[in-house]
Amino acid sequence: MKNKINLLILAVVLRLLVSGLLFHPDIKTIAFQTSFLKQGVVNIYPYLINNRASLPLKEEFVYFPLTYFTLGGYQAVISTFLGSNFDKWLQDAGANSVVNNPKVIFYLILLKLPLLLVDFAVAFILLKLFKDKKEGEQAFTLWLFNPFTIILIYAFSNIDLYAVLLTLIAFLYIRREKLLIASVFIGLAVSFKLYALLFVPFLFLKAKNTKEKILSVIIPISIFMITIIPFLSPSFVNSALLSGLSTRIFGPSFTIGFGESIVMGLFLMTALFFGGFVNDRKVHLFNYLVSILLIIFSFSHFHISWLLWIAPFLAILVVKRPVLSVPIFFWAVFAMAVPLFYSDRSMTISLFRIYTTWYDMLPTPFLVIQKFYDPFVFQSMLHSVLAGISVVIAYKINKNE
Amino acid sequence: MNKQSLLLHNNKIIIFTTTTILFLLFVLPVVMLIPIKMVPANDQPGYGDMGRVSVYGLRQFTQEFLSTDTNLMAIGTTIKNPNLKNKKIIKFNLYDEKNNLIREVKLNGFNIGDGDFVKFVFEPVPDSSQKKYNFTISSPEAGEEEILELFLIGPTDTVLDYSYDDETKLGGIPMVTFHKPDSRWETVKLVYLNLFSKLLSLDSRRI
Repeated sequence: MKNKINLLILAVVLRLLVSGLLFHPDIKTIAFQTSFLKQGVVNIYPYLINNRASLPLKEEFVYFPLTYFTLGGYQAVISTFLGSNFDKWLQDAGANSVVNNPKVIFYLILLKLPLLLVDFAVAFILLKLFKDKKEGEQAFTLWLFNPFTIILIYAFSNIDLYAVLLTLIAFLYIRREKLLIASVFIGLAVSFKLYALLFVPFLFLKAKNTKEKILSVIIPISIFMITIIPFLSPSFVNSALLSGLSTRIFGPSFTIGFGESIVMGLFLMTALFFGGFVNDRKVHLFNYLVSILLIIFSFSHFHISWLLWIAPFLAILVVKRPVLSVPIFFWAVFAMAVPLFYSDRSMTISLFRIYTTWYDMLPTPFLVIQKFYDPFVFQSMLHSVLAGISVVIAYKINKNE
Repeated sequence: MNKQSLLLHNNKIIIFTTTTILFLLFVLPVVMLIPIKMVPANDQPGYGDMGRVSVYGLRQFTQEFLSTDTNLMAIGTTIKNPNLKNKKIIKFNLYDEKNNLIREVKLNGFNIGDGDFVKFVFEPVPDSSQKKYNFTISSPEAGEEEILELFLIGPTDTVLDYSYDDETKLGGIPMVTFHKPDSRWETVKLVYLNLFSKLLSLDSRRI
């Protein structure tokens, strides 16, 4: 028991260290935007656009209303602990003064604390997902002790974790044959992040009868609509709804002439859905969920934070299929490596600006590669390896299972 | 997997993860300092609405400044190259207090984008701490259509005064001086002292 407590403490300490010492600018931008809730701003989308001229940070709020209320509500609750200088820090648009603020580590840790709670909640859901206690404990340990998710969550302040937790709870209810409750959680997940909507067609496949099929589609979409309808406006549509998700996922295509092209992601997802519809009498939803995410990561220019979507499912796979643990490890390594070679300082060097802004003088990995080789070709090679490993994992989990 | 091998497997991933995270947080930042051959003495001062001066032909810009540290080895500032038209030689000359030319740097306008932060790097000047220097920036071969523009700011502790078009005024350009560290160890020590000062701030807040 004492050993388990020590391990939990170690897991917390590692997370707090990464939270405080690594800084991605998104956390400050989001904290600035959601700080308006405590000032009484309910509809953030037109507010940011209408007051752009007078605001120190000009970015639009690209997340859904549920994210605004969750993070804004949390900030309102902890504002006493944050102190009076916190709002000044949020308003500070200076690239150097933000990271040189003596309280920056304290602010980062406190802002990332909800992620710690949700992260541990994911670990406990994984523990519950397995009938075999040992397998559950293995998944629990794997989730708490792998460098990939710790970096993805705490270095990049990954608020997609809320949707990931809800998706996993949905999966827990799917395992318990409670599809309609699962649909509610998928609806809530979609209300945080649109990607969860990709799972809805497969809930439809899993449903046993016509009524359940209709409800499994209507429930998540209704929940999503209820959370966004009060905010529907051109500013909301442009800022949050038309996000990079749709353009990135449905971007890659090959031309078939006369202005037409086949969109790779959509093509493969449709094939997966109708393949399941025609062939699979006993629908293995887990396999579909993992396959669809593998398709996304294989055929789109993904953001590093998206990798969290698949992380708990890969932890389950490692436990259930130990033979896949090596390919999954390398999949994770290559998946993390691809975005690190994007031409974006905040993916790599800038994460360490809390230590010193002297790192600004270092070239990004993209520029380092550029001295020897075409960095886009290099990126493509990494991504191709990732796609290759994805094919093997997808094949292995769908083969006669 | 039996209980013993499971425990062993779990121990391995715990050790791997802990080592990886500690390496990322405490070793990689040190490794990343190795290629840094010079460190800035200050942040670049803000600029924007104090006007600009054009440099071309005989119109050169002279700046007097204070070096706050030893081993001065570069001056950096923001330079505008409108429409990237200047593709001529840009001369940077550094003079000591007695107006002796001590360093000379030549760049090509071809390599300077509009609004780039440009560093003029030269051999380190030892004993440069708390000494005043002058530098000139000129582009003698550039015509009126090939101007470079420098932003102006008011005087600071280190930016003292500037001369342009036969006039001398207080202030100058938003410049940063860069210095060669005494040793790698010194750089690492400074970075970690900076980090620990922030951590101590965290501790005092908690108490």
